[in-house]
Parts: sequence; structure tokens; C-alpha cells
Amino acid sequence: MTELLIQTVVQGLLVGGGYALVALSLGLTYNVSGIINFAHGDFLTLAMYLALALQTAWALDPYVSTVITFPLLFVSGVALYWFLLRPVARSQLLMVIQLTLGVTFVLQNGILMVFGGQPVRVPSDWEASLLILGDSLFLRTPQVLAFAGSLLLALLLWIVLDHTETGRRIRAVHQNPRAAALMGIDVPRVRTLTFGVGIGIQAIAGALLIPGTPIEPGQGFRYTVIPLMALVMGGLSDFRGIYLAAILIGVTEALGTVFVSGTSGMIVPYALFVLVLLLRPQGLFRRA
Amino acid sequence: MLEVAGLTAGYGGPNVLEDVSLDVEAGELVGLLGANNAGKSTLINCISGVLRPRAGSIRFLGEDITRAKPSDIVSRGIVQVPEGRQVFPRMSVLDNLLLGGTTAVARPRRADRLEQVFTLFPRLKERRPQYAGTLSGGEQQMLAIGRAMMGGPKLLMLDEPSLGLSPLFVQTIFRALRELNAQGLTILLVEQNLNLTLSCAVRGVVLERGQVALAGTSATLRADPRTRQAYLGL
Repeated sequence: MTELLIQTVVQGLLVGGGYALVALSLGLTYNVSGIINFAHGDFLTLAMYLALALQTAWALDPYVSTVITFPLLFVSGVALYWFLLRPVARSQLLMVIQLTLGVTFVLQNGILMVFGGQPVRVPSDWEASLLILGDSLFLRTPQVLAFAGSLLLALLLWIVLDHTETGRRIRAVHQNPRAAALMGIDVPRVRTLTFGVGIGIQAIAGALLIPGTPIEPGQGFRYTVIPLMALVMGGLSDFRGIYLAAILIGVTEALGTVFVSGTSGMIVPYALFVLVLLLRPQGLFRRA
Repeated sequence: MLEVAGLTAGYGGPNVLEDVSLDVEAGELVGLLGANNAGKSTLINCISGVLRPRAGSIRFLGEDITRAKPSDIVSRGIVQVPEGRQVFPRMSVLDNLLLGGTTAVARPRRADRLEQVFTLFPRLKERRPQYAGTLSGGEQQMLAIGRAMMGGPKLLMLDEPSLGLSPLFVQTIFRALRELNAQGLTILLVEQNLNLTLSCAVRGVVLERGQVALAGTSATLRADPRTRQAYLGL
């Protein structure tokens, strides 16, 4: 029983690390632009299918092909913000949301057209690799790598945002865009590039999450909703809170799936979400 | 130094500014006066490039900047201290100041200017690590001015710096402005506080319903009854 519990919690931590990757990049794009991009998860799907295409065409391992997919995703993020979101950024919230939902349909159906609807696996050299700790704890190496990647990304974001001039500018744009413009910061440029980086990170997240996971064109929404929950639970602009919330969702999901009967186990993270909204609407770790 | 000619501007609706012309010479402290909604903030927001004028031109140091980007205008040396101070609340006082000098032209001189700002407002030096949002209104105004000075302005524009401050802080702020002006800084001061502004400005321009109603030296404006009428909207 204890063994199962430990195995489940560890498994949840690792899955949560994957969610954290996507949630942090969602947080980055949201905070700099003020726009919740409902197509965020679909860019992850796009990154994964690009990795698949590169694997099929040139036998590139998904880890390696990020050097190609990252710039591609970065450019599509830049284009998305500059050509579609920036012009409507000042209009009503619902219009912006509808626009990003529209992008969701374009991406999902575009992928469907090119790759078909069958779930596929992207073969990877790492897929079957296991790490065995002690005599009963089995960890899949790609998941450990994804978790390590999420920690590294969190660290990198913290360093850049809190300790560099670029980060200071991004924070200024987030806190008061008008004042930032009056300080000589090119606000549209900062927003566009940061948005691009946020989407670009999806390429890295995609590569880290791909081994052993079947992918299908319609999966994107799940990778928007769960990170969005983490974003809200964490307190929107508190990256530490977003990270921990993502981990918490991973752990409760794993516990729910293993210890609560049948599919109703999947409800557990959502129940946690409702609880957090009721008790700590300002975010898990934020002072009110 | 600054030449505004025939400026017309608005926010989607009717014109807020109509055919406004205004010159500021190097080294002057010019007061831009007028009641609420007279168009004072609209004018300096056009100069800062955050609002596109509908007609007219703005020239600075002989070059046309009417359609320049806000970031470009700051780099050229026009820095605005916005109304309501607009500090970055969840950043330290030091970070706020550093952001004032974030343009490529200002960055190499940041360390020197930081010392100058701390000499001008010693209070800011004490408050360095504190979040700007936790400062009092007067301290935030000092921070907003100090932050603007970090950009190394040739022309400093202030929008209602006395708004909502205690008389003591108003004195401190205006003493600092006089001192900066005495050191050679050109200042365009938007204010509702008539007497205070005319006491330190050489010249004043009075806006009324988006148009220049009166202009002249501080002494003539103080003597002219129409100055007060413009304020009361008569």
C-alpha cells in the first residue's frame, strides 16, 4: 500500500512537472499581453506533430529537433500576437477569447488535414528507458527529464524576469504598460517577443512530453485547460504559485486515478480547483 | 526647442484639442494651465507620442516627431512624468528608477544619474529596496520625477505633480523643479494650481476647451482677469 502510494505520488509529481512546463509558458504569455490564449495547448500539439514529421523525414529524435521546432514556434507566436491579437487587444475580452478559440479550430483541423485523426506515437530512443530507485520505485526516464526540464525552465524564468534588464522591462509592461511606454520601452515589441518566447517554449515542452505518449490532433484543449487551472490557482502572475499548482494538479490527478474508482478519479483535481477558488481566490500563495 | 503647431487631437469622439500652438525655448520653465478637461494632458500625451494627433505638427530640436514612437521620443530627450505618478507598484524603488534609464542612450549613464536623483531626493535612497506601491503619495511623486530624470531628459514634462499631495510635499516637489530648472533643464509643467505654477514659471499658456485662450509671461497672466475666468469656465 505504501509502495503504491509513493509510486503514485512520484508519478503525479512527474506528470505535474509536464503540466508546469505548459502552465509557465501560458503564464508568461498571459502576463505580458493580458490575453488568455485558448490556443496555447494547440501550439503544444503543433510542436509535437512537427517533431513527428521531423522524426519521420530525417529520423531526428524529438529532443534534438527542438533546435528546429523552437524557432518555428517562436515565429508563429510572434505572428499570432502581431497580426491577430495586437490589433484586437483593446477590444472586448470576449472578442479576444473568441479569436484565440478560432485559432484553436484552425490549428486542430489543420493538423487533422495533414496528419489524420489516428492517435500516433512518436518513436524515441528514450521511450522505454526506466530509472529504478530502491527495489520498487520505477520511473520512466523521459518523465524524469520532463520534470527536470520544468524545474530548469522555472529557474530560468526566475533569473530572467527578476535579475535581467529584459525581465525588468517585461515586468514593467505587465504592471503598467502606459508608464512603461513613457519610460521609452517599446511596449508592442516587448509584448510580441515575449509572446513568441512563450509559444516557443511549447516546442521544448512538446519534446519533453512526447516520448511514450500517443498524440492526436484534438488533445490541445486539455493542455490549455489544465495549465489554465494551474495559472488561476497559482494566482495569475505568481510564477512560483503557478508551478506548485501545476504539480499539485498532477499529484491529485494521479491519486484520484489510482485510489478513486473508475473515471470519477479524474474529478479530483477539478474538485481541488473549486476548493482553491472558494477558499483562496487570490491564488494559493498570494497574500490577499 | 519644442514647437507645437496647429495641433488637433481627440479620443475617438470630438476634438479635445483644436489648433493648439505652443513653443518652449531651451532652459525655460513653461506652465501649461487650464481647468479640468481643458486638454492639457491630451497635449502632452501627443508630445510623448502615446496619442496620435489628428492634425498639426510637433518638432523637437528642429526635427519632426509628430509620428514618432513613444520609445523614440524618450530616446530623443522628452520624458513625461504622468498624472497620478504611475509608478510600478510591485517593484522596488530602485527597479523603478533603473527602468527610467532603460533606453539604449540612457543606460551607460545610469549609475551617475542614480546618484544625482538620490542627491535631489534623499528620501528615495532610504526607500531603495521598498516596493513603490508602499510609498506615500508624495514619495511616489518624488519617485516618478526621479524615474523620469534617469532617462536624462532635455525636456521634462510633468502632468499635475501637485495633485493629491500634502502642502509640505508640494513644496518639496516644486523646490526640486526650481532647482532642476536652475541647473538648465527645460520644463513644461501642466498644473491646475495657478499661483504655484506662475510663481516658478517664466511663461504660461492657458488652455480653455482645447484651445489656447491666453499666453504670456507669468506677471501678465497673473494680472489678467481672463486667466481666472478660463479656470472657472466663464
